[in-house]
Amino acid sequence: MVYGQASKGAEGAEKMSLVNELSKDRRVVIYVAAVALALIFIAVFGLKFGLDLEGGSYLQLQLQGARAQIDVSPENILKFQFNASDVEKHGDSFVITIPGKVEATLPEDLGYSGAKVVERDNTTKITLTAASETVVTNYLKKNMDADVKIVGVAPIIYEIRTNVTRESLNALLLPVGGKVPAGDDAFSEGVTTETVDETKKVLDSKLNRLGLQDIKVKVVDNKFILIDMAGMDVATAQDVVGKPGKFEIRIQTENNQSMHVLYGDAVESVEIPQGDRNGGWGVPFVLSEEGAQLFQKAAIDSGATKKPDDHYISMYLDKDEIFSAPLAAELAGSLQKAAIRNMEARVGAGDAGSTKAKELYIHLREGALPVNVVVVGSGQVSAALGKQFKIQMILAGLIALLAVAGMIYYRYREKRIVLPMVTTSTSEVIMMLGVWAFMGTFVGWKLDLASLAGIITVIGTGVDQLVIITDELIRGGEAMPAASERSIKERAAAAAEKAGAVKVSPASSKVYLSRLSRAFTIILGAAATTAVAMLPLLYMGFGALTGFALIIILGVILGVAIARPAYGRIIGHILAQN
Amino acid sequence: MELQDIVSKYPPKQLMLIPIAIIVLALISLGATYLSTGSPVKLGIEFTGGTLITVPSTESQNAVAAQFAGYPLSDIRNIGNRYMLQFGPMSDSDYTDLAKLTNSKFESPEIRHMGPIYSKELQAQALRYIPVSFILMALVVFLVFREPIVSLLVVVSALADILTAAASMNITGVQLSLGTVAALLMLIGYSVDTDILLSMRVLKRKGATDDKIKGAMGTGFMMTGTTISAVIPLIIASNFLYLIIPSFTRMDVIADMSTVLIFGLAADIFNTWVTNAQGLRWYMDRPRKALRGQKK
Repeated sequence: MVYGQASKGAEGAEKMSLVNELSKDRRVVIYVAAVALALIFIAVFGLKFGLDLEGGSYLQLQLQGARAQIDVSPENILKFQFNASDVEKHGDSFVITIPGKVEATLPEDLGYSGAKVVERDNTTKITLTAASETVVTNYLKKNMDADVKIVGVAPIIYEIRTNVTRESLNALLLPVGGKVPAGDDAFSEGVTTETVDETKKVLDSKLNRLGLQDIKVKVVDNKFILIDMAGMDVATAQDVVGKPGKFEIRIQTENNQSMHVLYGDAVESVEIPQGDRNGGWGVPFVLSEEGAQLFQKAAIDSGATKKPDDHYISMYLDKDEIFSAPLAAELAGSLQKAAIRNMEARVGAGDAGSTKAKELYIHLREGALPVNVVVVGSGQVSAALGKQFKIQMILAGLIALLAVAGMIYYRYREKRIVLPMVTTSTSEVIMMLGVWAFMGTFVGWKLDLASLAGIITVIGTGVDQLVIITDELIRGGEAMPAASERSIKERAAAAAEKAGAVKVSPASSKVYLSRLSRAFTIILGAAATTAVAMLPLLYMGFGALTGFALIIILGVILGVAIARPAYGRIIGHILAQN
Repeated sequence: MELQDIVSKYPPKQLMLIPIAIIVLALISLGATYLSTGSPVKLGIEFTGGTLITVPSTESQNAVAAQFAGYPLSDIRNIGNRYMLQFGPMSDSDYTDLAKLTNSKFESPEIRHMGPIYSKELQAQALRYIPVSFILMALVVFLVFREPIVSLLVVVSALADILTAAASMNITGVQLSLGTVAALLMLIGYSVDTDILLSMRVLKRKGATDDKIKGAMGTGFMMTGTTISAVIPLIIASNFLYLIIPSFTRMDVIADMSTVLIFGLAADIFNTWVTNAQGLRWYMDRPRKALRGQKK
């Protein structure tokens, strides 16, 4: 409306030269390429929305456990556990003397297999082969009803995978004359990273096996596991995570026929995989008494005890075969005589064996988690509600963009400034969405409610920085926006003239460049404070606000690195053309 | 603009009494809440633990509450075409039953359950991370200016913003939630933007301090203005839209977040152009020898 008919033609020519000149500027080229790439990413990968916008449930689990050093003599433990009068250590073995008779299964009940029990003159002598640490581990396992694993040597550190405090551990060790040594190093809460990973793997494999799509298992703080399950209500989600799989052992009869031996309820415990001296790996497991009898009966009935090589023992979890190998000759011989409770599934040697053993361990436990977990938080959002939230947020984003555009127009009243500003602001949003589309496909970043709010806040702070650049260049800050005696356009022209922009190429003018660099000092300071203040949020709230923090930090970086340098050039050229 | 005249009319020391009074009032409000509840702001359900359920219903409030008889219902509110129900702590099995009951009786419920471990951990995190965020911001400010007094003025203005925003939560009844913590952290970073602009303009440009402050004000008002105009749609979309369009729902997280942001931004206008600007006037007007550190 300001321009007459004649000047419009001139303006068109100016635009041509503007495009020509800008297309040579590296910053502008990078910016255009980045926006184009972002658009391609959005078109190709699409946007992935978070649980609170798509509908589904989440569970927040805390892994319980602690790592501790323990001062205790294994002899004392054995004396206490076996009610013995004397315990002696002979090399690798312990000889336990007990007054009177004991059940022959006592050592096995306490976790020691292959013990020799000899009864004479109303005293019983038990000889068992075990390392000192095994004795401590067995004692803790038995009394804590949880897995215990050695996670450090010199000093030996025991990882107890259930809720335990220094006090409760000391109380447990008191009757055997042991204690956790003093000092902060001797006891620390939480389990090792490996254990957390192992737990995550169990969950992953379990949920995968159930054929559940779109499930995200995430570890936070090495202590919490978050599970997102799309399209499921929270009660069902809890069931799924808590429910064990269906485990079955079958034995080959004749040809390719097989018969049922036992189900998972007959497996009493599964030990952590062990490698032997020859590099072979196996997973030891213990059958219940009935289980052992069922196994013996099946082995004899199928003829496996006679011809073990022709009779494969196969294990299934939810109908998937997880293990299959012939009955070991040695075991076949023993089964002929008695039921055996302690068994081991051998899987092979080397790294492959070790990996297989770990997998089998998880499967044998029917997806039971290696660590005791408690649900600390959970929830669900319905798909309909999520959709409604999405619409509300998109609406809010559009209104925000319009409101910001209105504010800019109110101040500059000049479409040559308003248009590039709004375009830059919009393109920053496009770049952020582009990054999310890409990362969503490859790393699983999702846009949730909080990150949409983050985008809207970034629109607000991003435009601020464009205002700083513009004002610094036209020195608009010298007068108030309401000062209408001199329009912004006039001031811009005056500023450009002062800067020698009309005569010399604006982009190389010294005054222009020094103003631009001053604007960038302010912008960098502002951007850096916003980004660092958001850093802690990446870790807070069990990941609930990670999206918000991430999108603000990334939006600020993208803006400062790509969009604003280009905007500085573009607006500089535009201002100089009057 | 009136604020513009005030800024240069009175001596800085006199004007500084206003922000000091506001900070003292904010501290009193936070202190009083601390004495009565044990924390400087009222803690929301995420920090106290409990269960939050929203269900769509056209029935009366009492009829909906009656459906949940037997559970520790502590609050029920109408939020558009839905009701929001808040429950106190309960056992895990009760919660599972509650979730099942809710899913069987209502079409598309939203459920959020925060156990005691969750809320305790969140409290510890807030206590740890809000100061970390503030310290990181202060470090960046000191790095940008390398001028102890100028940097200190910026940091103090930011602190005043946060205190005012936190105190305004007590006055408006907004509770501390994950959303409000996010907003407070956002404010920590954002509130120094205008302070940095002001200080840079005053330090790096030639001319009279008062003119430079007035000049920066134009840009600064615009900056805060655009941010406020981006936050207001958030408030409307999360907090009020459901009153006009009945099919919409209140979005708690966004509503809390944007309310705190608005208060913080309002406080920021004041703290930048009064607290920080007066501090700068006083600093720039000091006898020359005190300015040794600052070489042109």
